[in-house]
Amino acid sequence: MSASSDEAFVLEVLAALEQTGLEALVVGSVAAVLQGSPVTTQDLELLVRDTPANRQKIEMLGHCLGARPREVSSLTNVLRIDAASAPVDLLFDCLPGELSFESLRSRSVAIDLAGRTATVASLEDVILSKEASGRPKDHAQLPILRDTLRVKKALAK
Amino acid sequence: MAHQVSAQAETSPRVTVEELTATKRRLQPLLPDMDPCDLDLILTSLLRPFGSGRRFFLREVRPGVRVF
Repeated sequence: MSASSDEAFVLEVLAALEQTGLEALVVGSVAAVLQGSPVTTQDLELLVRDTPANRQKIEMLGHCLGARPREVSSLTNVLRIDAASAPVDLLFDCLPGELSFESLRSRSVAIDLAGRTATVASLEDVILSKEASGRPKDHAQLPILRDTLRVKKALAK
Repeated sequence: MAHQVSAQAETSPRVTVEELTATKRRLQPLLPDMDPCDLDLILTSLLRPFGSGRRFFLREVRPGVRVF
């Protein structure tokens, strides 16, 4: 087996998180991908708590990934690191659907990826956040995400 | 605390066509309303171990054109 550049990039981000000590949950479509969903995405989304210490760690994360974090828009609180392989978006404190960092973490799954551990929002929570987002591109993914969840539950029987 | 899941432990590192077919045959009666092609697509993705070469990031090469 040989990893794709996308898989290698996920491992690079996990290594950078470990190096900086930034506690982050993988959320969004990459969280769904890591739990077996056949979807694609344009970025890797991380949810972190908004603290001064974490803001410093995000600067270090940008250094590790080769780009300075920048605001995506003055209308949002999202920071983006334009890494070479894909943008890494940093979201703060909660996701649509009133899903707080703490509640998401309590239901998260720790997935072992080639010796590194990714803390990943559960597929149920990914679905909830996409349902609540109101964005057409998120809603378009919902049928296949719901079916993936059904298949996972059937596999577990 | 996150629940511990090993992506490698959920399935063997190499999933054969026979295993995929057997799993699909087992699940189809449990999911009678699911499109068989969708089930096939999901199982292929679900049983594929991390590190096996899957691509999932789309890149915009020019406005409106995205590639893996």
